[in-house]
Amino acid sequence: MRTPIRIVSLLLLALGADAACAHAFLDHANPLVGSTVRAAPREVTLSFTQDLEAGFSSVEVTDAHGARVDAGKPRVSANTMRIGLRSLPPGTYRVRWHVLSVDTHKTEGSFTFQVGGP
Amino acid sequence: MSRLQARQQSRLSILAGIRGTLPRLCLAPGENPPLSLCFGSLPVSSALAHCFVGARFLPATLITDDPCVADEMSLPTVAWSRTGDVPPASQWDISGEFSKRITEDFGVSIGEDWSHIRQPGAPTMQGFGDLETTFQYQLLKDRTHETAMLLGLVVDWGGTGSAAFGTSYSLLTPTYYFGQGFGQLPDDLGWARPFAVTGQIGYQIPTTSFIVSQDTHVPQVLLYGASLQYSMPYLKSEVKDLQLPDFINHLIPIVETQLATPVANNLGNSNVTTGTINPGVIWVGSYFQVGMEAMIPVNRASGTGVGVIGQLHLYLDDMFPKTIGQPLIGGGSATPAKPAF
Repeated sequence: MRTPIRIVSLLLLALGADAACAHAFLDHANPLVGSTVRAAPREVTLSFTQDLEAGFSSVEVTDAHGARVDAGKPRVSANTMRIGLRSLPPGTYRVRWHVLSVDTHKTEGSFTFQVGGP
Repeated sequence: MSRLQARQQSRLSILAGIRGTLPRLCLAPGENPPLSLCFGSLPVSSALAHCFVGARFLPATLITDDPCVADEMSLPTVAWSRTGDVPPASQWDISGEFSKRITEDFGVSIGEDWSHIRQPGAPTMQGFGDLETTFQYQLLKDRTHETAMLLGLVVDWGGTGSAAFGTSYSLLTPTYYFGQGFGQLPDDLGWARPFAVTGQIGYQIPTTSFIVSQDTHVPQVLLYGASLQYSMPYLKSEVKDLQLPDFINHLIPIVETQLATPVANNLGNSNVTTGTINPGVIWVGSYFQVGMEAMIPVNRASGTGVGVIGQLHLYLDDMFPKTIGQPLIGGGSATPAKPAF
């Protein structure tokens, strides 16, 4: 078993100058993915597992009819992306995001959250 | 395709039908061979690419293959099992595989395995199997519907393995792979959206149909397998964040199966299907994944009792995004597209 471990170690060592980054997964969101919030949020915050390229990362929020309810441009800082929201009446909203990590890996996803109780 | 696995299972399927001929095939008269000595060994494999399709991440599976080309390495894959012999032989398999994208949609893999078999009252056998290469082309990646399709040609190069575990002839296996996420299910079935299935079907053609010295037909074999998986990362990021412990949110419980059935040129042998059903779990990180599965034989010819398989799988495209993690052709010049919804 030691030989394969040595081979892997040598490979990692040989390529160590290549700074490692990875696909950016959604780590957590506010509002939480799939959650129901009583008060309408003023913005959506998405935190990822890797830093993002601001120019190639975006997010939009739509209501149950597909109409945009976000306001302004997405703001990207390191691994976090935010976007403001208009005043949201009770209902279900979908957040769709699409990001590029700093090593040019693309990922995307979407989720919903609800405003107001049933 | 799950190269090494497929080769080994197809051989197992063959020998399950022609066990009576085994002494003529590779042992001295009077010896009682473990089943896997002559044709290879029970499932061990290195699996291929991890796979992104839209919001869906399909991990590298252990005994089947996912439907994407990628830059990655499985090292090592380690399996322990007991053969279907009486008494059963104890078998260890250690394998490795390196996969490289030549272009964005075309990749090549190379793999090798080493086996060790010990049966009470018989000499211990160990050695390398035949070298295996795989050529794969990405047919489809539908982000919206989380669908992926892949075509591949697996080649086991005869004469490249040891006397005990290699063959004198090569094996060609054209294979179709698919993957489908359930993310399009309606919201009231949200709990089911993290499910995904992957599968593969291949037809293995040996370059020799008859071994004259052993008076044995070498059959053509149908190789097929599938996985059903439930992605906790998908549940957390796409459906509902239950705020579970971080370790749990990186798990993908999975059940895989890989089967082999001789279907042609199998004169004088039975057509028994062999294979295993493997329940297990894969932990997915940013740069690597670790998988562990039990191996449950589907019948007596496939093995004795429950075996185990584990794998460390490295995402080279994530570890080394500017060097070996890029396709050889067209990787560095690709300009990322501005996101459009």
